[in-house]
Amino acid sequence: MSMQQQYGAPKDNYHKQIMIKSTVILIVCILLTLVCLVPIYILIVNATHTHTELAENPSQLFFGGALGENMKILTNNIAEDAGKALRRVARQYSSVFNIGRGYLNSLIIAGCTTILTVFFSALTAYGLVVYDFKLNSAAYTFIIGVMMIPVQVSSAGFVRFMYSLNLINNFIPLIVPAIAAPAVIFFMHSSLKSTFPLSIVEAARIDGCSEFRTFISVAMPLMTPAMAVQAIFAFVQNWNNYYTQNMILKNDKMMTVPIMVSKVLQFDKDVNYGVNYLCIALSVVPIVVVYLALSKFIIAGVALGGVKE
Amino acid sequence: MASAAQSRIKSISYAKYGYMFIAPFFLVYCFFQIWPLIYTFILSFKGNQSNYDSFVGLDNYTTILFGQGMAAGAAATKAEFLQALGNTFVLWFGNFVPQILLSLLLAVWFTDAKVKLPGKGFFKVVMYMPNIITAASVAALYVNLFGDSEYYFVNSLLMNAGMADPIHFVTDPTISKIMVMFIQTWLWFGNTMIMLMSGIMGISPSLFEAADIDGANSTQQFFNITLPLLQPIMVYTLVTSMIGGLQMFDLPYLFHNGAQFSRSLETVAVYIYYNFNKGTVEQASYGYAGAASIIIFGITAILGSVTFYVNRDQDAAAKKKQRKLAEKQQKARAKQGGGLTI
Amino acid sequence: MSKLKRTLALLATLAVTSTAFVACGGKKEDSPAPTPAENNNSVADDANAGDAGDAGDAGDAGDAGDAGDAGDAGDAGDAGNDAPAAGGEISLPDTDDVLTIVCWTDTDLNNMFDIYTPVQASEVKYQQCGGNGTEASTQYANYLNSGDDVDLFVAEAGWILNYINDDSMSAPLEQLGISTADYADAYQYTVEIGTDNNGVLKAASWQAAAGGWAYNADLAEQYLGVTSEDDMQAKVSSWDNFKATAEELKTASDGAVTMTVSLGGLWQAFSTAQNAAWVDGTTINTGIASDFVAMAKEYVDGGYIDPSVKQWGTEWENYGKDGKTLGYFFSTWCLGEGAQLDTNCGTAGNWRLIQGPQEYFWGGSWLCVSPNCNTATEAANFIRTFTCNADTMEEYALYSGDFANNKVAMNKIISDGSNSNPSLGGQDQFAVLAGVAEGIKMSDSISKYDQNLKDTLLNTLFENISDDADTILQKFTDQALADNTDLNA
Repeated sequence: MSMQQQYGAPKDNYHKQIMIKSTVILIVCILLTLVCLVPIYILIVNATHTHTELAENPSQLFFGGALGENMKILTNNIAEDAGKALRRVARQYSSVFNIGRGYLNSLIIAGCTTILTVFFSALTAYGLVVYDFKLNSAAYTFIIGVMMIPVQVSSAGFVRFMYSLNLINNFIPLIVPAIAAPAVIFFMHSSLKSTFPLSIVEAARIDGCSEFRTFISVAMPLMTPAMAVQAIFAFVQNWNNYYTQNMILKNDKMMTVPIMVSKVLQFDKDVNYGVNYLCIALSVVPIVVVYLALSKFIIAGVALGGVKE
Repeated sequence: MASAAQSRIKSISYAKYGYMFIAPFFLVYCFFQIWPLIYTFILSFKGNQSNYDSFVGLDNYTTILFGQGMAAGAAATKAEFLQALGNTFVLWFGNFVPQILLSLLLAVWFTDAKVKLPGKGFFKVVMYMPNIITAASVAALYVNLFGDSEYYFVNSLLMNAGMADPIHFVTDPTISKIMVMFIQTWLWFGNTMIMLMSGIMGISPSLFEAADIDGANSTQQFFNITLPLLQPIMVYTLVTSMIGGLQMFDLPYLFHNGAQFSRSLETVAVYIYYNFNKGTVEQASYGYAGAASIIIFGITAILGSVTFYVNRDQDAAAKKKQRKLAEKQQKARAKQGGGLTI
Repeated sequence: MSKLKRTLALLATLAVTSTAFVACGGKKEDSPAPTPAENNNSVADDANAGDAGDAGDAGDAGDAGDAGDAGDAGDAGDAGNDAPAAGGEISLPDTDDVLTIVCWTDTDLNNMFDIYTPVQASEVKYQQCGGNGTEASTQYANYLNSGDDVDLFVAEAGWILNYINDDSMSAPLEQLGISTADYADAYQYTVEIGTDNNGVLKAASWQAAAGGWAYNADLAEQYLGVTSEDDMQAKVSSWDNFKATAEELKTASDGAVTMTVSLGGLWQAFSTAQNAAWVDGTTINTGIASDFVAMAKEYVDGGYIDPSVKQWGTEWENYGKDGKTLGYFFSTWCLGEGAQLDTNCGTAGNWRLIQGPQEYFWGGSWLCVSPNCNTATEAANFIRTFTCNADTMEEYALYSGDFANNKVAMNKIISDGSNSNPSLGGQDQFAVLAGVAEGIKMSDSISKYDQNLKDTLLNTLFENISDDADTILQKFTDQALADNTDLNA
């Protein structure tokens, strides 16, 4: 009794310790959350301020009312009597940053690559898992072997090759190579190995299904979860792929969102802070929104060991 | 007996489908990856700029590695390449260490059943979020937030708080490196954390329970159970991160405004890109770019085989397990007569 | 969790709002674009079918322009020379109806578009390739080969030689019916630079980019007791005087006001006046670099200049706005309405322009013809309007404040006193710069490496200003040689 008074109930003590620990962890997590969110918040806030406001007070913390105005400059939709300087700024930004076209191009590239990557990776993985052929293990070893080769090591040759094929300023060098995605095949392969019932293929054969049809109508539905996870990562990766896109696309009709952002970053004259932030926000916000909508799915995918670019 | 016959039939009549199914991958891979790689290899033996079409043997390699070559700037080229290699390592190391420590700490906290943390799911979602954002936009965002003068967000805030001179976050050679490390960590810690979490959750809970009963505190548990059992996944993270580090491009390249690049953030990937992406073929240095690429390829190959050997044991174990499973399935199928019930 | 939902809702709302804006704005921008594309074929058909009509138009336009030109020059010889060109032997096709000009800087083009009326094309537009000269110099080649519509492109002295000496990148002006004879009144250096190694005229400039020194007269009076432009000029008439005045200013203002703002401006004024080539054969002439490094060190160590300020940035602008600097080195294209002095740097105080320590020039851009030009009549008319025709060039100079590349037009403006620049207190900047424009000689000294070497020097200085001069120079030479394998030191 006296000991309990002196030291407190062991259970209380234990609880107190956990409480303290939990509080510390909570505080750290909140701080990290702020580190992750504040830049995005400031980005959106600053996109709603004019250049003048930002030049006078760059540390704006609350929303302003100039989002529409900045958007008008960005789309070169300003009044004729706005003054030469502003008209010049508007023409400069709108000439480089055409957000509609950027989204469309990025969507075409990311969409097509995703479909190709997922379909052909599933096909290849399925071929390796279901069929027994002489070069099977050699092919698989090859795919694992090349999985880690960075894209940079072949890019000098890639660009020269594309020049010689006259495929610069063409989506083909950005889309068609997506058919060959070793890392995606690797993950599809391991997921097929562990979950796919081979017997079902036999059953389909007995039913008179052709091999390709079996893959399309029997195997693919079973592979949907794995394919969906890979599709998300393939989409994100290709949407964000500044390096290859910037090598291949030189022509303004082909600009994608990351290239447009990098071009805006290069302006050395007539910089407009508000519009700068707006450009970046337009490239960031849609991704964040889609991410939040799919976050559970994505995080489960990462936990599977999905991606490491 | 039936299964043996079946598999023989399968191997005879269906093998060609195997080749057909994997053919698109190999065709495309050879065309868009293998040939460019060979071509890069060829380019590495050819000259630069006006000399682009002639064969120069190992000149590009001796130039960028030892500073001995035909060009008057051979020594300077070597210095630049080695600096780029050094920068790559420094930038990688400077983001990997804090990233892995932070991720490990968070992963342990998040998987600790005794800790009562509200909104765990929310934290995970937010911490992974930076990883999903376009690196080009991230670079642009940070350049605009951390600009060099008082006309940018962070410096303005600091100077309002009483700091006298603005910090040159973007252009100072040392501070800009730290910035890139920070942003890189910001981008990747959520990803690493979730990977490590799934690794920790794979550890049998009975080990922790037993340790609890034996009176081990959480620090002891971490060093004696979690860390040793996480080793394979840690090695995997380390190697993939090193290979990722060798490719580091968008952030260091765009952080210094693209064209007006600076040596202090020049990584190997930037070096390669900068040399082959300079206008016409007569303005570009394909030879140096090629030689640097092949050197990076060599380094990657070494790192890749390290992971391969580390993961081999696990793979072998997994294969054994899968083989057993397959046998079981076959048996079951044989019993059911075709597995139509699935 | 509710916090997450709220964040999500907020972001979703924002996204919807912004996409709504995009939709509105995007359509406005996009809708004209598809129209010409859709009409493309039909216009081409028209052109083929009604070839005769088009040719007639072309002839008319050419005639009108030339008549004006000859009349102003009042020179029989000129008129004679013009005669063959007036036939408008345009050998490039006329199959498109959008004139596309590729550029990286749009100040001048914006002014041109404001006063230009197309004769044939349905639209005249520019397309930006790269946000700055350095980026443009390396990315133009790819752009020109991209298959995108390019009729004309703008190139800068520092790298124009890469493009006019390559027939796959540029076509002779003769193919638009324009010859050297049309440039009798132009500043000759612009014609020399626009002529390629084989003596073929490939590019024409609309400006003689003379530079001067603009200063804040209020500050000059306050700290230096100077009240007139002539007195100020006397105080900065040589580099020695310039530095002495900088020291005087520093003492008088207690370091609050610097003499000028960026190393970039100082570099421009100093280097182009040297008239020495950056590259001699294949050897880098490090003389200019070493002189400038020494000078930059002097100015930085003396506290006359802040080396961390980037040319053209907000900080650079605000030095003038906030009265922290006495003056800027400005080229003519910084002085017009809506340009740097007017809107950004000189909004406070009373500004005046003088020649400064040395006659120099800054930039200068040329219009070049793409071999793929398919709007030839319009392109020819555009080039004539802004590089040959004295009347329209006078209008352009008055409108833009840019020093037009036509002696007749400029002399007329100066003698008529028709130009008064409000941002310079009514001063006529052309009168100040006329002598400078006459004296520009850069045709012998430019090389295709200039842009790269200049950027390398300024970047090296920017990053290593605290090193000693020899180290900086060594770093510059190293980088220049590593970048340009064809050169040696």
